[in-house]
Amino acid sequence: MSGMSPRVRGAAAGVVAVVVIASSVQVAAGVDQTSPGNAALPRPAAPPRTPDGKVDLSGVYQSSPKRGEWDPSAPGQGGGPENEPPSLLPAARQRAQELLNRRSIDDPTAYCLLAPGPRMTGVILFPIQFVQTPGQVVIIYEYFNAVRIIPTDGRPHPDDAEPTYQGDSVGRWDGDTLVVDVNNFKEGNWLAAGIVSSDKLHITERYTRIDKDQLNYEAVIEDPELLAKPWTIRRTLMLREGVRVREYVCAENNLDPARYQEYLKRPSLFMRSPDQAQPR
Amino acid sequence: MRTCPVLAVASGLALFAALIGAAPVWAHHSFGATFDANKPVSITGVLTKVQWTNPHSHLYLDVKDKDGPVVAWVFEGYPSVVLYRTGWSRDGTIKIGDTLTVVGWRARDDSPFALGREVTLPSGKHLFFGPLSGTGEGAAVAPGN
Repeated sequence: MSGMSPRVRGAAAGVVAVVVIASSVQVAAGVDQTSPGNAALPRPAAPPRTPDGKVDLSGVYQSSPKRGEWDPSAPGQGGGPENEPPSLLPAARQRAQELLNRRSIDDPTAYCLLAPGPRMTGVILFPIQFVQTPGQVVIIYEYFNAVRIIPTDGRPHPDDAEPTYQGDSVGRWDGDTLVVDVNNFKEGNWLAAGIVSSDKLHITERYTRIDKDQLNYEAVIEDPELLAKPWTIRRTLMLREGVRVREYVCAENNLDPARYQEYLKRPSLFMRSPDQAQPR
Repeated sequence: MRTCPVLAVASGLALFAALIGAAPVWAHHSFGATFDANKPVSITGVLTKVQWTNPHSHLYLDVKDKDGPVVAWVFEGYPSVVLYRTGWSRDGTIKIGDTLTVVGWRARDDSPFALGREVTLPSGKHLFFGPLSGTGEGAAVAPGN
């Protein structure tokens, strides 16, 4: 703030103060809702801030409702509050059922390919690191060692972007929330088991670090070829101090594609029958 | 060979998996394509090999029946990066020749291959080695049906 006039500096400080107070209110309201086990923990500190007054998202997190150390008992499912199911268009629902009957062997992640942000953010077994610098936020997912570089300097989406698994991201700050607009996805992404998006996929993500420990994630997913209405997914990321993101080379020993080719020679062994209502 | 298909522990795991079955699952590979949640197993054997790799690690156990031949079992589990955070260390947790008990779910083709959820070490300590049954395959019915 050294280049600011005293008046502007004072106004900026006031904004920061209001934001800090607002965040504290959110902390008080948010702590105990995530998990009853968190009630016994001391009230978490306010989120850190960068010299320009923005909330600093930097840190290593786990998708989990629990504060504290890494949770090793993860069953493999995403952390955070229950999410409502997507409203699939009829053709998409039929396709999803066909893919589920094949027990999701067509999922690109089984072939070590990436998935869009909402799915990557919900993977509980692997940490996610945020690195925030002026004009840029970088998200490093240990899962597949995927990286998203999100400019926050006001630039628009590039006009020469190729469609990609994770899409093209541009961010902006809305108060203490990082809002990321993501487009230019490849078609055929799996947002969840059997839920396959088109190249019209558009995602608006909101990242809000409400206190030192907790980073709330919300994604509004739109796809006119998949969804009858926008689909909102929410996740809770919890800070995991001391945890480091490691190398994860999925292609090292991925035996599943070859297995699946063998299974398809005996589909009755693994496929659900089309009219099967319950898993077996 | 000890293959107790309805061990209490394994049944408990299967029940837990059924209870969370309605929740969204966000993992890597499909459990159900390869393994059968209705075939819980608990196998005790001697460790012959460890494959400490991504996206899955494997434990190889020689399992001896009183009267039958030794059967070489393979257990699939978490990637090595996940095992570090689950309490395992690459060189310190187990060694070749250790007797281990692994609880999990057998492959659909009834081969001596299973997903290993939990391992009991020679010290009696338990460590998670893999995910719950049902992980990654999705629900039986598409949303909205």
